[in-house]
Amino acid sequence: MDYKRDIPLAITFIVGVIAIGDYYTGIEAVTQTFNVIKNWGIVLQGFALGLGAVNLFRVHGRRLSARKEGTDWYFSGWLLLMLVVFIGLGLVTGEYEQGATYSWLYNAIYLPLGSTMYSSLAFYMAYGAYKVLRARNFDAALLFITAVLVIFGNTPIFPAIYPGFFHMREWIFGPIVSGAYRGVRIGIGIGAVVLGIKTLIGMETGYLGRR
Amino acid sequence: MVSMDPSIWIAAFFTIAATSYAFRDNVVFKFAEYTFIGVAAGHQIVMGIKNIRDYGWTKIMEGQIIYVLVFVLGIMLYARFHREYYWMYRFPIAFLVGNGVGISIRAAIHSDFIVQVAQTASTPLIGGGAMGTINAIITFVGAVTAIFHFIFTQENLHEGTLGYIPKIGRWLMLLAFGASFGNTIMSRFGMYQGRIIFLLRDWLQLV
Amino acid sequence: MSVWEKLTSLPREVVMGLVIIAMLIPALSPLGLPLMTGQMSQDWYDTIEALPEGSVILFDIGYGSGGYPSLGPGTIAAFHQIFENDLKLVIMATALEGTLMYPLVMAAVQPESNYGAVYGEDYVFIGYIAGTQTAMAGVLGDLHELVTNDYQGNPISGMPLMDNVGGADDFAIVAYVTTSGDVAEGWVYQAYSQYNRDVLGGTLSMMTTSIKPYYDSGQLLGIMDGVKGAADLEFLTGHPGDAIVSSDILTFTQTLVLIFIAVGNISWFMQKQEGSG
Repeated sequence: MDYKRDIPLAITFIVGVIAIGDYYTGIEAVTQTFNVIKNWGIVLQGFALGLGAVNLFRVHGRRLSARKEGTDWYFSGWLLLMLVVFIGLGLVTGEYEQGATYSWLYNAIYLPLGSTMYSSLAFYMAYGAYKVLRARNFDAALLFITAVLVIFGNTPIFPAIYPGFFHMREWIFGPIVSGAYRGVRIGIGIGAVVLGIKTLIGMETGYLGRR
Repeated sequence: MVSMDPSIWIAAFFTIAATSYAFRDNVVFKFAEYTFIGVAAGHQIVMGIKNIRDYGWTKIMEGQIIYVLVFVLGIMLYARFHREYYWMYRFPIAFLVGNGVGISIRAAIHSDFIVQVAQTASTPLIGGGAMGTINAIITFVGAVTAIFHFIFTQENLHEGTLGYIPKIGRWLMLLAFGASFGNTIMSRFGMYQGRIIFLLRDWLQLV
Repeated sequence: MSVWEKLTSLPREVVMGLVIIAMLIPALSPLGLPLMTGQMSQDWYDTIEALPEGSVILFDIGYGSGGYPSLGPGTIAAFHQIFENDLKLVIMATALEGTLMYPLVMAAVQPESNYGAVYGEDYVFIGYIAGTQTAMAGVLGDLHELVTNDYQGNPISGMPLMDNVGGADDFAIVAYVTTSGDVAEGWVYQAYSQYNRDVLGGTLSMMTTSIKPYYDSGQLLGIMDGVKGAADLEFLTGHPGDAIVSSDILTFTQTLVLIFIAVGNISWFMQKQEGSG
């Protein structure tokens, strides 16, 4: 027995079976056990939130200490400084993200950066529409047609001129989207359940990492 | 009248800095990018520790000593970064995976499979006037043929006359993906417009 | 280089510059175009309207700064309707930044001054809970077993609203607004399938197609379809805000995109004709 792999596989199986058992059996003891498992899971997720930051410390800490030319090491230093400032502000005050200074910095730095980084893909969507969205063949033409019709329906001025644009958009979101995506959704459901069962019985072990 | 609030000025700077990449990669964008990663990771840690305090530490303080075990498991997650003790990381991750898988598949089978199949089977194909009938048939054909498209274990399903079934599925999916693309354009612009409104209203106070 | 080739090779900077101009013009002088409300947002609105006074809604803020421009206005409009109808709100966050979105939303809604609502009696914010579906199952299963304090660390046990709420059965409906696919599906899995609750879902427009099957099968009673859904809700609730302003900007930007698509395709087609000729 390889306890380094077999015990984790057993943990996955037992925890998963209790979760499923809670749903299908309704036995009070199983529900109580699962309540504890849920709470443990939430605390563990809290611990897991630090993994990314620790990795950043390792990577950028190394770059900073090496200070190789052409590596933008000073940016790594800045990154770590911002990281430490936010952690410090959140923890030292004991107010976490509710502290006044923390909120101020969040609104001044994180909020604009988060919303701009996330949304600046709009520019690439426009550029992509100009450069790539072509009715090159029958398949591409199908995608092209509904894309254009939906954009017409989504752009307020066109339905204001002719309401049919909006009704056409609503119709596309009716049978066309509903039918195709229902098929996709059923496929996702089957896939998720199969992958889940394979994971629980130890046929899928990728999450355990390297051997 | 331009805003006098320094936080608005900093936010405006970072908005413009992050947007500048759309034109060309530059040092100001890089500065914004590194700032964003550092701040995001810092915030993640703060929220992680708050979560541990609220849902773990308080339980221990209430006398539920068993929660010490979760803290041990939580610390074991960080063995991931150690070459020799890497295997210890598998215990907490196995717990998280087992919990995540169990909690989601028990309901996914109902939401994504049973309800969807029942809905497809129970909707009458004829009724609701000519348009209602056409819509019901398209929805039914779309759902059934899209599923056929993803059956790869039977090669003959994709050949000859039978091959038209998955082909119709693909066509209907392409039509649906077009709708998705159209909505994605609206979605992205909808998000960026928020920044434009911020720059004009809160920073430059022009509107 | 033919005129068609020139038309398909506009530099990136020019395209991006045109997009920015298309955003600035309507933001500076709005057109005030009429809106046509979609059925999905109408259903969201009607579902809330139909709830009896005093019903408790569990509302998840599942987005952060990235989603705020799109989903924030919709959340604000939804909260206006909820407080106007004397409904109770238990708010939680499945997004890391959710606790920082909450004050932004509340600053716009101002439930105390606008509706005489009282924190603890009419609404409570229990803060961020990690774990997505585990958090959902935890709150719907046994709320008091999991949550002891609100987002500021005050005990929830003495709050009149929370004394009457113990789990899924006490919520008339579950509503969420999110940028995450896992959260969008998760609430359907946990609230509808596991705990048999009615659910309302709000997502970015680009995710709407993938959750549409839930709406068709009654697992979602209404959908707030990104910024379009937010504008619809602002219109329906009579609280115009940023989403309606965004609709004007959308007119310009999306018309520009349509022009780009037309120019790109006509030029490509003409080049092909020239090549084969």
